[in-house]
Amino acid sequence: MTKQEIIEKVNKVFEESFEIEKDRLLPEANIFLDLGLDSLDIVDLMVALQKSFEVNLRNEESIRNIRTLEDIYKFILEFQERKKGQSNP
Amino acid sequence: MVQRRVVITGIGVVSPYGNGVPALIEGIEKGRSTIRRMEGWDQFGGLKSHVGAPAELTNEKRIPRQKRRSMGRIGLFAAQAAEEALADSGLTVPERSWRTGCIIGSTIGSTKSLNDAFEIILKDKDIGLINSTTVFQCMSHTAASNVAQYLGLNGYIMATSAACASSLHAIGTGYDLIRLGRQDFLLCGGADELHPIVTGSFDALFATSTKYNDSPTMTPRPFDRDRDGLVCGEGSGVVVLEDYEKAVSRNAKIYAEITGFSTTGSGSHISQSDRESMVYCMKSALGDARVSPNDVDYVNAHATATLQGDQEEAEAIREVFGSAIPVSAFKGYIGHTLGAAGVIELIATLVMMEKGVIYPTLNLENVSHECEGLDHVMKPRNSELNVILKNGFAFGGISAALVCKNVKIQEK
Repeated sequence: MTKQEIIEKVNKVFEESFEIEKDRLLPEANIFLDLGLDSLDIVDLMVALQKSFEVNLRNEESIRNIRTLEDIYKFILEFQERKKGQSNP
Repeated sequence: MVQRRVVITGIGVVSPYGNGVPALIEGIEKGRSTIRRMEGWDQFGGLKSHVGAPAELTNEKRIPRQKRRSMGRIGLFAAQAAEEALADSGLTVPERSWRTGCIIGSTIGSTKSLNDAFEIILKDKDIGLINSTTVFQCMSHTAASNVAQYLGLNGYIMATSAACASSLHAIGTGYDLIRLGRQDFLLCGGADELHPIVTGSFDALFATSTKYNDSPTMTPRPFDRDRDGLVCGEGSGVVVLEDYEKAVSRNAKIYAEITGFSTTGSGSHISQSDRESMVYCMKSALGDARVSPNDVDYVNAHATATLQGDQEEAEAIREVFGSAIPVSAFKGYIGHTLGAAGVIELIATLVMMEKGVIYPTLNLENVSHECEGLDHVMKPRNSELNVILKNGFAFGGISAALVCKNVKIQEK
């Protein structure tokens, strides 16, 4: 999946699950301070990303470091690369 | 100990007629049934009753997302009813008021949310796809806690879970807390949802209406010769309770004074109605109100239109009040709204007190012989209502009765 496809999927989660308007979804937007997500939303973000990308993220510690939308795009991209590496030794 | 007088100063409803008290009253006054055949229910094997009274959610997105996300249908119904009741009372909730709270009951949490959660969990035996707020939609005090969060209440937050007596328990408890001086303002009521699982739980006990799937507006038929069981509805009702002196001092509109409450258990059977405990409950509520049966102008019956329940209630009312007491029941209009039934039907009764009219029992055409011996109100009737008694009964052998008095203008 290309980065652009990842951006579109992640942004769709923010629009549908968190009812945030498209024009506020800037890569540098802080998901807590700018987009207003709280601790419960982070659980739902993880569930929504799991559904959207059909992956299991519950044991991913690095998800705790996410602050911006760009962080999420990078996290998914890296997760994808890592999984690809594991399945093609 | 001096007890405070407790009055109702605000009312709010979400019912199968739509949002708001005006929609409820307009529907009842037009004699319009909200019962319909439920699409898709025929896919449930063994479910014989395919009728219900659904309430449509409207304008729920007005509730901010982070307040709304923890609300299932029950929470949304309760939040909207509570908001209407609070606005109607003219009160604003002060910040950090430890003496303003809510008591709102329901049978269980949101049935739809429970169903959806179990469908996800049981599919792969995996809880990884459960949302963070599912638990807040499913827990038994979902209505009370969501209303408290939405309106910013800091006082007593309680949920009275007693199935179809839940909301009368809530109001009775609120009445005690205010008269004892423990709280100043309480939003009290109940909420419940219509769902095939809910109807199915009654259907399994042969308590539902099954003969009118093709003519849904003909059922339920409280006290009628041709009644064949209950029909589930959904919604919420909330009333604002406060100390009489405070209400007068702020020049609030007073719908009625609550003067008596009682609740009893049959201690004999988990599902069968029990006349003796109903009789004691009504007598005890009248005793609390310090009125005699002759002082009561009207009884709003629980009357779900089951064969045994209506018979037991009719006999119990007759034993307490004699044969001259005017009686009607409202489940023919909106079905049995379960945890919300007591309060929604009370609210309609409060409006009757205000207007000096008795709304009749819809679908009561021929009084069943075992329910005879009461003044069944079968068409609208003008009548001054000074004292009313509202009944509510529930699975678990629970009876509840509330007595309200019209507060005359000259008393203010």
